[in-house]
Amino acid sequence: MKKSIIVTLLLAIAVCTLPFVISPFVLFMLTEVLIMAIFAMSLGLIMGYGGLQSLGHSAFFGIGAYTVAVLSQYVTSIYILLPAAIIISGIFALLTGLIAVRNKGIFFLMITLAITQMLFLFFRQSDLWGGADGLGTSVKPNLGFMELVSPLSLFYFTGAFFILSYFFLRLFVNSPLGKGLKGVMENEGRMIALGYNVKKYQIIAYVFAGGLAGLAGGLYIFKTQFASPELFSVHMATTVLIMVFIGGLGTLFGPVIGAGVFIFLQNYISTMTDRWSLIMGLLFIVIVLYNRGGILQLLQLIGKKLIPKKNILMDKKGATIIELNESGKAK
Amino acid sequence: MDLFIVNTLSGLTYGMLLFLMASGLSIVFGLMRIINLSHGSFFLFGSYVAYAMVSRGMNFWLALLLSTICVTVLALLLEKFLISRFHGNEASQVLLTLGLIFVIGDITLWIWGGDFLSIPVPSILDFSFAISESSFPIYRLFVIAIGIICAVLLWYFETKTKVGMIVRAGVDDMEMMGALGFNIKLIFTAVFLFGAALAAIGGVLSGPILGMYPKMEFEILVNSLVIVLIGGLGSWKGAFIGAIVIGIIDSFGKIYLPDVSVLLIFVVMVIVLMFKPTGLFGRVES
Repeated sequence: MKKSIIVTLLLAIAVCTLPFVISPFVLFMLTEVLIMAIFAMSLGLIMGYGGLQSLGHSAFFGIGAYTVAVLSQYVTSIYILLPAAIIISGIFALLTGLIAVRNKGIFFLMITLAITQMLFLFFRQSDLWGGADGLGTSVKPNLGFMELVSPLSLFYFTGAFFILSYFFLRLFVNSPLGKGLKGVMENEGRMIALGYNVKKYQIIAYVFAGGLAGLAGGLYIFKTQFASPELFSVHMATTVLIMVFIGGLGTLFGPVIGAGVFIFLQNYISTMTDRWSLIMGLLFIVIVLYNRGGILQLLQLIGKKLIPKKNILMDKKGATIIELNESGKAK
Repeated sequence: MDLFIVNTLSGLTYGMLLFLMASGLSIVFGLMRIINLSHGSFFLFGSYVAYAMVSRGMNFWLALLLSTICVTVLALLLEKFLISRFHGNEASQVLLTLGLIFVIGDITLWIWGGDFLSIPVPSILDFSFAISESSFPIYRLFVIAIGIICAVLLWYFETKTKVGMIVRAGVDDMEMMGALGFNIKLIFTAVFLFGAALAAIGGVLSGPILGMYPKMEFEILVNSLVIVLIGGLGSWKGAFIGAIVIGIIDSFGKIYLPDVSVLLIFVVMVIVLMFKPTGLFGRVES
């Protein structure tokens, strides 16, 4: 508990000071990083702690985004828009989760993929809410007493939600609920034998992750002012999946690093070539072939080698690394 | 009434194209627990290669044969050098084949561009026949026939031949087959290539009907996955029944419920999975 508050405070300080050391363009990109980090963390929760491989996590992101875009035609207060995004995507997660969680592994993956593709086709084909053209909006974050219009205020706005999300995820992971979830991932049979309602744990995590992804989708609209059916696409689901894998599966902060690396890489490479999709695919293959624990684990290993003095502290961390390795192999 | 027949036949045509794709997907999964997402790329790549040949004046049937061979070679390379490294590791396989689908999709986009392309119908089959007042292209009937022939061949292959027996036993217990001295790696590669060839044939045959455009592999892939889920993983019979169901629902849905037609097949999937989580012909997982 103490540790999570300290880490959250450090993150908050980092978010607060960053705008003073970087250029406005990077700031704009970092806003996207923060939004995608929330999205990636939510997927990281169900994948890294729940063992649920989802290829359809973009469904919740898209639903959150469309909720804000559609509702913003009637109301502008974020106190209504963002909770609505969270609740509606949460409800959708509950409904689809009840079907999907009955199955494991590949089946789960295929069902989530199919459900998301259904939403993609539906939003593209239906005339409701803009169809294939998407839906534009001019909504800005409105706190009730002031409207946030500058890029800097938008950055702080998303930053606040990022820190809150991180904090709540930490709490979730460290709670008995989160521990039970991890137990289910590592040895489902044993948890059943111990009398745990295994599916309940997975559903709760799935709904929590869905709501969080919905929040990320809602925030995304404040940045881009535009909701398109592409938000539901396999491409989007793959993007967030690769972020989780680049950063490190089974950690909370890994997906955040993954989101940062991915978005900077994407922006940098897109300026040089149109073949981003090809490079992303190759990146995927390389990650599968050579990567085991993601960048975060690499950093931890380097840190361990550079600072051999702090053995006791590193042993603590080392323990989590070993845990990670086992779950990585077990999958 | 004749409209009903025409719609049913259109649905069957689409269903048979999906069957060619889904049966390979299903058998490969059944045998080796590999869900090969790049199977959709085989479909797409097959039709683009055939387009390249036909547009340079080659005979349709020769193009069909050559592009099937091309795709089979591609599948052999992918299986040999990438996919076979991850036997038994489902998560890595999914990610790997997901990467492959993006790579192959983008390479085809690079070579052939993003425009809608289609293969002309071969001249022998380029006419229609009349159903009272409506007419129906004979080429589509030909596709239905090919689908049924493939299903019959699969049935014969599975039940009457020794190779089919080995594959069937392999689906049930791969390790035991290995212990009995069968070369399971070879069997698996053969089945993988066979599935890829079926997907390529489906892709080429779909060229005159569905055409080719970027990202079509995802649509075909997801529809095939739905079919495989409905029919039950590992069973080509399930794929056959599922393909017919999905094809007909798709065809009638587009006419009577155009706004929500894309949702219909998923509604069917959800209903089937609610009552039978393993699909219609799937076995209970041990």
